[in-house]
Amino acid sequence: MRLIGTIAGIALLVAIAFGTYSCSSDTGQGDPDLKVYRHSFDEAPRSLDPARAATVYSNFIVLNTYDTLYAYKYLARPYELKPNLADGMPAFSDDGLTLTVRLKRGVHYIDDPVFEGGKGREVTAHDFVYSLKRHFDPRSLSQGAWFWQGRIVGLDAWGEAGADYAQEVEGLRALDSHTVQITLTRPYPQITHTLAQGFAALVPREAVDEYGRELSVRPVGSGPFIVEDFDSTRAVLRRNPDYRSEPVDLAYEGYDEAVHGFSGVKAIDGRSPPFVDRIEIDFISDDSSRMTSFTKGDELHYARLPSAFYDNYLKSKAPIALSDDNASKYHMLAGVEPGFVFHQFNLDDPILGYHDDPAREAANKALRCAIIQGFDWEARNNGFYGGVAVVFPGTIPPVVPEFDETLSRDSVTRDVNAAKALLAQAGWTPETLPELTYGVPSSVRQTQMFEQFRGFMQDIGYPRDKIVIKQYATFGDISKAWKQSQLPIVNKAWSLDFPDAENTLQLYYGPNGSPGSNDANYKNPGYDALYERAAVMQPGPERTALYQQMNRMIVDDCVAMTGLSRTIILLWHKNVIAFPDRNIVGGFWAKYVDLTD
Amino acid sequence: METLRYTLRKLLGGVPLILGVTFLSFLLMVYFGPDITYEFTSKNPTAQEIASVRAELGLDRPFLVRYADYLREIVTLDFGHSFASGERVTRILARTIPISLAVIIPGFILGNLLGLVFALIAANHRSGWIDKAIMAASVVGMSISFLIVVIVFQIVFCSSYGLNLFPSRGWQVDGPGDYLMHVTVPTMATVFVALGYNTRFYRAVLVEELTRDHVRTARAFGTPPSQVLYKHVLKNSLIPIVTRIMFSIPLIVISGSLIIESYFGIPGVGKITFDAIKVNDQPILKAVVGLTALLFVLTLIVTDVLYSVFDPRVKLK
Repeated sequence: MRLIGTIAGIALLVAIAFGTYSCSSDTGQGDPDLKVYRHSFDEAPRSLDPARAATVYSNFIVLNTYDTLYAYKYLARPYELKPNLADGMPAFSDDGLTLTVRLKRGVHYIDDPVFEGGKGREVTAHDFVYSLKRHFDPRSLSQGAWFWQGRIVGLDAWGEAGADYAQEVEGLRALDSHTVQITLTRPYPQITHTLAQGFAALVPREAVDEYGRELSVRPVGSGPFIVEDFDSTRAVLRRNPDYRSEPVDLAYEGYDEAVHGFSGVKAIDGRSPPFVDRIEIDFISDDSSRMTSFTKGDELHYARLPSAFYDNYLKSKAPIALSDDNASKYHMLAGVEPGFVFHQFNLDDPILGYHDDPAREAANKALRCAIIQGFDWEARNNGFYGGVAVVFPGTIPPVVPEFDETLSRDSVTRDVNAAKALLAQAGWTPETLPELTYGVPSSVRQTQMFEQFRGFMQDIGYPRDKIVIKQYATFGDISKAWKQSQLPIVNKAWSLDFPDAENTLQLYYGPNGSPGSNDANYKNPGYDALYERAAVMQPGPERTALYQQMNRMIVDDCVAMTGLSRTIILLWHKNVIAFPDRNIVGGFWAKYVDLTD
Repeated sequence: METLRYTLRKLLGGVPLILGVTFLSFLLMVYFGPDITYEFTSKNPTAQEIASVRAELGLDRPFLVRYADYLREIVTLDFGHSFASGERVTRILARTIPISLAVIIPGFILGNLLGLVFALIAANHRSGWIDKAIMAASVVGMSISFLIVVIVFQIVFCSSYGLNLFPSRGWQVDGPGDYLMHVTVPTMATVFVALGYNTRFYRAVLVEELTRDHVRTARAFGTPPSQVLYKHVLKNSLIPIVTRIMFSIPLIVISGSLIIESYFGIPGVGKITFDAIKVNDQPILKAVVGLTALLFVLTLIVTDVLYSVFDPRVKLK
């Protein structure tokens, strides 16, 4: 017994020593004089390398630790671009093919051993050229190259020729240390938006050479914060003491007292961000765990309200309002997401898509239209999105300026009789209807969605045993099935990269077929021609008309059950001065966060 | 000298075990695990991009070449970089294993010690109401899902709806005080669940020992009951007890506790392993599987040596 006691005592001491040792690097944690803002993510970012900033979570941290040439204004809605590291908006040539951007002078990377003497050097135009080239270097495992693929003269060829950084790219040049010139293969009106993405952040070559793949956990940027700690559960950012002084002009940022007054952001006008000393971000995928931490009072300052908690926190869903008790403790912002969920039909699949036999192809179209008519978006909204999402027809979501309010809502209004009639007219009977496989990533929620879908289809006369589920272990696995065109129905969500409907219309552009983003494998020469015409046009009524015409084609051809934009409800404590935005403004708003105590 | 020879012989004998475990697990990873390629592609990938990702991650190389690399990695303890995060696997393990140990060891020790104490009490009152009460409580503890225990304990001890005494998550430890704050609730949850299993197991072992001749003889000689329990029963039961404890160690060191780490936001090796399983992050999985196999072999050897310490009749041959 004595022996066991001794072993236990030693082990306990070892454990305490380990515990103390393992966290000794967490400096400043307990300093009461520091302003610490505690944020939460629903998921952990995998990589902090700008080349792989593919999720809102990675993008948030990348945008706070690196600089991009452009950013989105903090408060302006619709979203507006503004210069960030650039000293003005880009100057376009008359033909729209060349843009020239000048960089601010005197901006430095953070101090890091990769630089001579450990002192951060000045950020130059060469860094931008290098950073964009990285996307076309296979060693970078870039997830952002698609923004510029086939767009910049010579860049694709540079990558295919072996990605030799000593070789210049004709369309991507540093004219001098602070001037960048990009030559496009064809006009690309969205190019400035792409330069506001984390993918376009400026990375010093020294850091890539030194850290290699570990750049993903050791960011070396020139942004407002420095990553102090990053692991599977949290990231700690501390204020970059050398961040350039740029006082906030709230009017320029889009401040409107009626909209933003409640948040207290007026207090930051004229002051130079960042305002907090540290941002601690917890990655908490479990909703109850996240809300427990948020409501404690001394842990999280910010959390997204999960739909399962709406009944506990809201007193009304239309309009969305917090219960009195919660309203006295928290600020709330409810907004429609810049994105949507939808189900595409895979038209490459002959059971409901294109077919060699024109009669069968017509019957397949009738089948798709019937399924669309049988799908109950309101039930989906009430069942899975708390009843506060926005259901809309077509593929242009409400958040973009090109949204078509006049488009008929028939495609999102359930009509079981119409669906049955369509099936009957096309000659479909329960015996002849094809088996439909509904693929989902393995989860209870997704299985419930399948069951609901099967119920919808039974209502229109589809035999229960002909709607079958196929579960995939991971999102990567189901993504593989989509990309290899293995499933007849593609059930997915799309987050807009920038507020321009081109970003969703490309989901149906023929050349983007599998394995590209057009998982529907929709091939319509008329649609493609309109897309190509609109793709080079500047924003305006003419382009919007083309967008909306394409949108109607999607609806008329019964290509997808679409769509639903979720309403995102964000909560933050009253001592936090902020106006959060989860997607488009992304991480850009974090440097404006302040605390009142 | 005999112990050293025995250890070397056992180490050699462990090689086939390590080869078998690593081969089978790698086979499963490669042919049955999720395909991580599509976690790396862009939102609008081309066939060329997909091929390029596979080549860059080395997924396009022949199985046996990759398995040979795996064996080399075990020998050199260099498992390369995590596919998902890009961080060196050895750095990840060096950071996360100590945290997992710090979280789990108190619960592990207390769970076993308390289990032994309750088992002794139950065994000593075999078939009486105390025994029945302890066994019933053990069954209750075993019957409640660990997940439920963690959630309930978190609400009761860490939330504003309960006592709000401890942090609900995180691992910001600057000293023993912080450590106790962060480890208390996870330890209570671990002990709550482990206690039932341990008590029942140890009771069975002790009861068997209580029926032996030497115990009856000791009692006949008038040895006090406490001395019978501690000196004659517990000491002679140590072999199964040590076996149980020792074989738990590799799993504790490498696997950590996924549920505890996930719900309390603790950056330990359990969470890393689970995340790696979800996306088939092979460098991390290879390291975890390889090191676990290695630890099992070492544990086997240490356990055998301990047998000879606790029971002089056991010879190392």
